Amino acid sequence: MTEIGRVRIRLPSAIKAGAIVKARVLVIHPMEIVQRKDGKVVDKNYQFINRVVVSYLDREIGQFETTQSVSENPFFTFAFKATEPGVLRVIFFDTHGGKYEGTADVKLS
Amino acid sequence: MESVTGGITRRALLQVTGTVGLSSLVVPILGHSRRASAQGNPANLVPEEPVDATMKRLFAGRPIKDGASVIKLDAPLIAENGAVVPVMIEVDVPMTAQSYVKAIYVISDKNRRPMNVKFGLTPAMGQAYVGTNLRLGETTDVRAVVEMSDGSLLQTKREVKVTVGGCGG
Repeated sequence: MTEIGRVRIRLPSAIKAGAIVKARVLVIHPMEIVQRKDGKVVDKNYQFINRVVVSYLDREIGQFETTQSVSENPFFTFAFKATEPGVLRVIFFDTHGGKYEGTADVKLS
Repeated sequence: MESVTGGITRRALLQVTGTVGLSSLVVPILGHSRRASAQGNPANLVPEEPVDATMKRLFAGRPIKDGASVIKLDAPLIAENGAVVPVMIEVDVPMTAQSYVKAIYVISDKNRRPMNVKFGLTPAMGQAYVGTNLRLGETTDVRAVVEMSDGSLLQTKREVKVTVGGCGG
């Protein structure tokens, strides 16, 4: 699990100005599942990502709230309008205070 | 009269706070912090509950219209592995500053914790398009509830057959 928190962002290779771009992001994270003992939930601080913040040109454009019902190594897709070249930044927060950040340069062709 | 009641109530009050009051004060504080730490962030507490309770908790009985005509919910008919079920949601409405999709909730009816993901969107996204991978415990309806910026709600659902449960949590 040394790779925890590695973020990968994929954008289409050619982006036209003003086009709506579909981005795919992935983060390496265990997304710990609820454990049960005799049918009862084991009370502990499970480690999973519970918040994802997407920003473009340093402006927040989306915020996702996630739960343990999202698969291991969470993967998200979303769209955004590529108005000008800049940085697309995705930050993942987990329940143990972890903060994992990934960026991608949006280059217009 | 005033002095008598004053004296009695004060003494009574002190006694009460000394015995009952203190213990009743301590319990909720402890209980709260334990629950909070159990899920890390209290804002993300996801209780185990039937889907009706989830809908009530999230939308407080607001009317939800059928949105099958505008919401496109893509999910496999049969998911061999419940641990990774790709879903994709696209809402066919323009995203303008006046009217846009504010949030998309993904709820799976038979998971023990039906609330899965809430996508909060802004007009800057240009299109209401989101996708992720879900864990589904068993064969279930997956619904997408769309909240518009004016507060109206739309939903559509789709059944996903799960062969091997993914411990949806």
